[in-house]
Amino acid sequence: MRRSSFYLLLIGLIFALPFVPALIASFGGVWRFPTIIPDGINLRAWESVFSPSSRTLSAIFLSLWIAFCVTVINLMVGIPAAYALTRKKLRFQSGIEAVLLAPIFVPALAAVMGIHLTFLRLGLTETVIGVILVHLAPSMPYVIRAAMISFQTMNEEAEDAAKMLGATKSQRFYHVILPHLIPGLTAGVVLSMLISLSQYSVTLLIGAGQVITLPILFVPFLNGGDPAIGSAYTLVFSAVALALVLLLDGGLRSYYATRKGGCHEWI
Amino acid sequence: MWHRTKDYLLVLPALVLTGVLFFGGLIDGLFKSFGYFPAVGTSTFSLQAYQEVMTSSLFADSLDLTVRVAILSTSSATILGVGAALALYFMARRTSARWLLRLFQLPLTIPHLAAGYFMILLLSQSGLIARVSYALGWIDMPSEFPVVVNDRFGLGMILTYSWKEAPFIALLVYPVLARIHDNWLDAAKVYGATTTHYIWHVLLPAIRPAVITASLIVFIYTLSSFEVPYLLGVTYPSTLPVYAFQLYTSGSFADRSEALVIMWLLTTVALVVGLVAYRFYRKSYERGWE
Repeated sequence: MRRSSFYLLLIGLIFALPFVPALIASFGGVWRFPTIIPDGINLRAWESVFSPSSRTLSAIFLSLWIAFCVTVINLMVGIPAAYALTRKKLRFQSGIEAVLLAPIFVPALAAVMGIHLTFLRLGLTETVIGVILVHLAPSMPYVIRAAMISFQTMNEEAEDAAKMLGATKSQRFYHVILPHLIPGLTAGVVLSMLISLSQYSVTLLIGAGQVITLPILFVPFLNGGDPAIGSAYTLVFSAVALALVLLLDGGLRSYYATRKGGCHEWI
Repeated sequence: MWHRTKDYLLVLPALVLTGVLFFGGLIDGLFKSFGYFPAVGTSTFSLQAYQEVMTSSLFADSLDLTVRVAILSTSSATILGVGAALALYFMARRTSARWLLRLFQLPLTIPHLAAGYFMILLLSQSGLIARVSYALGWIDMPSEFPVVVNDRFGLGMILTYSWKEAPFIALLVYPVLARIHDNWLDAAKVYGATTTHYIWHVLLPAIRPAVITASLIVFIYTLSSFEVPYLLGVTYPSTLPVYAFQLYTSGSFADRSEALVIMWLLTTVALVVGLVAYRFYRKSYERGWE
């Protein structure tokens, strides 16, 4: 027991260590060499990050909105595709699967750089829609993959039983398929949101400085800017990502805590 | 016939979006890498950009750095990640490892941009470790601290990727280990095997396909991602994705063709390595351990 708590402490420290200087710098006012612990707390950086003129809140909101739209589109096209790929006998099955999952491996920037001038001609650059469109390819495979795994582990007999008992197609989807899909899909949703949230180069190229997501807003502060402000921004950015994961995870738990009986045995 | 067609309609929206936005973009880029820009009146194909790139010393230096960073990051993340997965496996024999797994997932949620900046604050010449070294009397001024981030070798990127990617590898490998029955170790010990023997002859062969898949994914990522080298690199040489981005945004059509040549080179490598990774992934799934 003592050895495992030692390991826990070690792993925890290794994980936490990189956060420490960011916390110190963001609360320390001016963090001059060789001060390790600043004398007293100074909220200058945080006040500046959250002052109305910094537009931080609207950037956070826009980032989340884009991530939300990307994820909804991914779910709308990904769930039917995953269903057909796992339940139906399609010709070129593995070919279709390879095409849909290929963007996992290829850098998103390659496709976006290629399509940039076409987007420019179509008037999609500098627009939120253009940015949403280029966030789709890198994130969609994860949603499809998550939905496929859920369908593969689902007992098809439950669906047949519901059909036999007279459930209509939509009833079967909402009461039988969806409750089983949700835990697996949550992983896909979390990844899709995080991938969209952390895009920088493709947003910069297509948004052209007009679509100001959180990374677009704060990266200029990281390159030789004020470390206190850079630290506060990267902490906010990490906190948004972390909050998103915890919220979706917690939402999932409470969803199953409030459901009585029913689908538990399949999860 | 109709219900067969309906099955295809289910995959159609996803195929159209991926086809247009992803493959369309790649092919669009391929045309432009050959200098085909009909919008500005150049609708001929030439290999000029390919020649320019292949003979440029900027490209050679950039390739050198990119491959070095990718190989060293992947190796160190793999060693750390497999080590962590093995530690989790042996600890799970005694206690519940659920909370440890959760702790491991945390670095995965931290975006690369943030992770890279944290490393700068920790390791730069005026970073936290340099300050501690000063307090301990090891150095007298910042410039005496070794250049670890924004260095020409790429050490800062390698360290960032190791920190970020090791948990990723551990999380892909651990589920395979968790499927190995507890009593195998006891059985091995009955026959006189030490724990080292057990790791070497039982655990490592079992996780090999999963480890190879995970590290190939990390290799492609470290080869082709933009954010970490953008923050932690130096002006010259920059890694290939950063170099391509700079060429592309500098504006001239000749430069844009060259940028797309570089992105296509990365795409080809990524697709080939990705295919190999996918093969190993299938293999690791087909092996039954139950």
